[in-house]
Amino acid sequence: MIGHLFKMVWNRKRANALVAIEIGIAFLVLFAVVSLTAWSAGNYRRPLGFTWQNILNVKINARSSSDDTWGPDLVETTRRLVQAAREFPEVEGVAATLSPPYAFNNNLGGFTHAGRSFECSLNEGTDNFKDLMGLSLVSGRWFTEEDNGANFKPIVINEALARLLFGADNPLGKRLREPAEGEREERVVGVISDFRRAGEFSGAEYVVFYRANLDDSRANLDDPGARPPRNLLVRLKPGTPRAFEERLAGKLQSVAREYSFEVSPLSELRETMSMFRRAPIVAAGVVAAFLMLMVGLGLTGVLWQNVTQRTKEIGLRRAKGATQTDIHVLVLGELFVITSIGIVLGAVVALQLPLLGLLGTVGGKVYAISFGVSIVILYSLTMLCGLYPSALAARIQPAEALHYE
Amino acid sequence: MLENYLKIAFKVFQRRKFFTFISLFGISFTLLVLMVAVAFLDHFFGAFPPETKLDRSLGVYALRMSGPHSIWTANPGYQFLDRYVRPLTSAEKVSIHSEPVKVCSWKDGQRVSLYLKRTDGEFWQILEFRFLEGGPFTPEDERSANFVAVINEATRTKLLGGSAALGKSIEVDGQRFRVVGVVPNVPFFRMGPFSDIWVPISTSKSDAYKREMMGGFGATILARTRSDLPAIRREFSSRIEHAEPPDPKNYDRVESGAETFFESFAREILNSKVGEDRSTALLGILCGIAVLFMVLPTLNLVNVNVSRILERTPEIGVRKAFGASRRTLVGQFVIENVVLCLVGGAIGFVLSFLVLRMISASGLIPYAEFHVNYRIFLYGLAVATFFGVFSGVLPAWRMARLHPVEALRGRAR
Repeated sequence: MIGHLFKMVWNRKRANALVAIEIGIAFLVLFAVVSLTAWSAGNYRRPLGFTWQNILNVKINARSSSDDTWGPDLVETTRRLVQAAREFPEVEGVAATLSPPYAFNNNLGGFTHAGRSFECSLNEGTDNFKDLMGLSLVSGRWFTEEDNGANFKPIVINEALARLLFGADNPLGKRLREPAEGEREERVVGVISDFRRAGEFSGAEYVVFYRANLDDSRANLDDPGARPPRNLLVRLKPGTPRAFEERLAGKLQSVAREYSFEVSPLSELRETMSMFRRAPIVAAGVVAAFLMLMVGLGLTGVLWQNVTQRTKEIGLRRAKGATQTDIHVLVLGELFVITSIGIVLGAVVALQLPLLGLLGTVGGKVYAISFGVSIVILYSLTMLCGLYPSALAARIQPAEALHYE
Repeated sequence: MLENYLKIAFKVFQRRKFFTFISLFGISFTLLVLMVAVAFLDHFFGAFPPETKLDRSLGVYALRMSGPHSIWTANPGYQFLDRYVRPLTSAEKVSIHSEPVKVCSWKDGQRVSLYLKRTDGEFWQILEFRFLEGGPFTPEDERSANFVAVINEATRTKLLGGSAALGKSIEVDGQRFRVVGVVPNVPFFRMGPFSDIWVPISTSKSDAYKREMMGGFGATILARTRSDLPAIRREFSSRIEHAEPPDPKNYDRVESGAETFFESFAREILNSKVGEDRSTALLGILCGIAVLFMVLPTLNLVNVNVSRILERTPEIGVRKAFGASRRTLVGQFVIENVVLCLVGGAIGFVLSFLVLRMISASGLIPYAEFHVNYRIFLYGLAVATFFGVFSGVLPAWRMARLHPVEALRGRAR
């Protein structure tokens, strides 16, 4: 049976080759879009690691120091800003950080650990940052006052980084890199589950937190790489009206005349971020859906024409005793063979990605799932296109074939 | 002759409506996507007001300092631009302006988020804004730190209720400015000119910016003619060769480049080093994507055409029996296809007009106005014709090879 189908396909190899190539390319398009969607969906389902409800972000544009490092005046002003914000009865807590959630910029740092290079998102948080943002600790602790005057630099990393560097070992007390000449050693004091700053659609990231200490302005002055926390995170009592933002901004402005402040609720930043992340996925999805519709319609047309042309042959088959089901099997079977050839063609191209090691952050699981899903969708699509033509073919009466021509 | 072909073509289209529909759907959809993509590119990189002199403009958008332990890439600071860009002798004019900063203004207890850009007076001479009210502020305003502002239409509506704004004062970011001019909204992705409010640099809350090498600013360089651009690039490179990093202990190298907006975009998106030109690479990638995208619709059209033409075997037989040459037949089929594609192109054109209107109205990109301009339409027409010829030739060539006797009997393989 299968052999016969292949023979039938081979007999019209020129026309079928074009159709198979078309299906192969359709497979590639489908695979690309399904991978993108699967990757984003996978990201969306992973926990964020923090909460964003009832939190205002205040971005501080200081622009007052020439080398952008900690200066005693900057730290002092930031501390006074935190205090000023805390005085409002509407405010439950105020923390400071370098890069808040849902911001488009990022501070990346390159590390080399045991001969392996990797990139981390660097951030800073005050002692109350963990509780205010609702981070969850996996092991160890967050920064506390006991870090004051310690002879090492405490850092908190996320679980993914801990797994990458230390595997199953206990990461606490270990360091990420050898300290440079004259620098204090960095030591892991805690591991958090995650802190996916860029939001729900973002991919996996390695996170390193440093301690921002506003109470002791000397603590970080010897560290040229550290930058002042340029964002305040203000947790509000639930139900605080939006008008509070103006009062907060006015108060902060009166504390630091030379600074500019940008007050926005995290919920609003989150909306903007997810719109930017969703737009390309939706656009790619719509384009791919239309392409598939186009391929489907084209295929239906080709099959329809094919069946009309083969009236004589099919009529003869019917006259020789083939049932309607046999005809269905013939038409759809041929289509199945062509689709398979097309998918094999597409898959050969798609398989180059893992073979060349280009999977990157997408990961093997997403790749495999997308591969399977694309194959299923493509078979369903082509079979759906074949239904009407094959029904037409099955309806052909043997008599028609006899007085054909 | 052509008239006959056209008549036949339309009869054929009407006979098999399903096939005609498939072809038209494919063509118009493909054109739609291409034209929307081109409109986006045009929106990002095309020269239209206020950036009418884009072909002879360069920008300094990024600065990279590196040392033994650290690398720091950011946009340049005022001091760097003032020292190394402003004095360029090969340029006609240089403007320094801050990046747009989001600031808050308050109206009736409601927060109004606006972008504020601080510029010099030359900014208004290089860029050609169309003023709805008043005019620009001048280099003199910048020197004497006058609190004057140019605002866009949206800001006039948000802060002043849309009434005449000239001479009125607005409070932004804790400072008070007198409005001297109103301009139409500038789209968000026009990095050079974009903002809601433009004020003189010297009105900054502190003068610390004057001592900064890194951060917050950019420069636009206008050349006298296009041919001066390479000279400007060379002069800038040689000037910064000896630039001193502010913190020699940590950084010992300063790199930057005068680049076109497309070059800077290519550098950003391809994640390459400051000063490297990756625009050809990006152009290659974009063309590659466009070609890949078009392969599928083309193949689809070829397949449909092969089927469609098979149906007309008897007709071909008759034509051949009466002496039609192969070339005449191929010509006829190609013309039929081109006509079909042009009809599809027209539909695609109308569709892209509607879709672009929809995207503009959706507010996804602030102040974006996407237009189907005549240039995009010409691209579309070219693509449609290409489709017609390409997808028509192969099947037509095959059919025209048929033996008349075979064809008359309606047999084609």
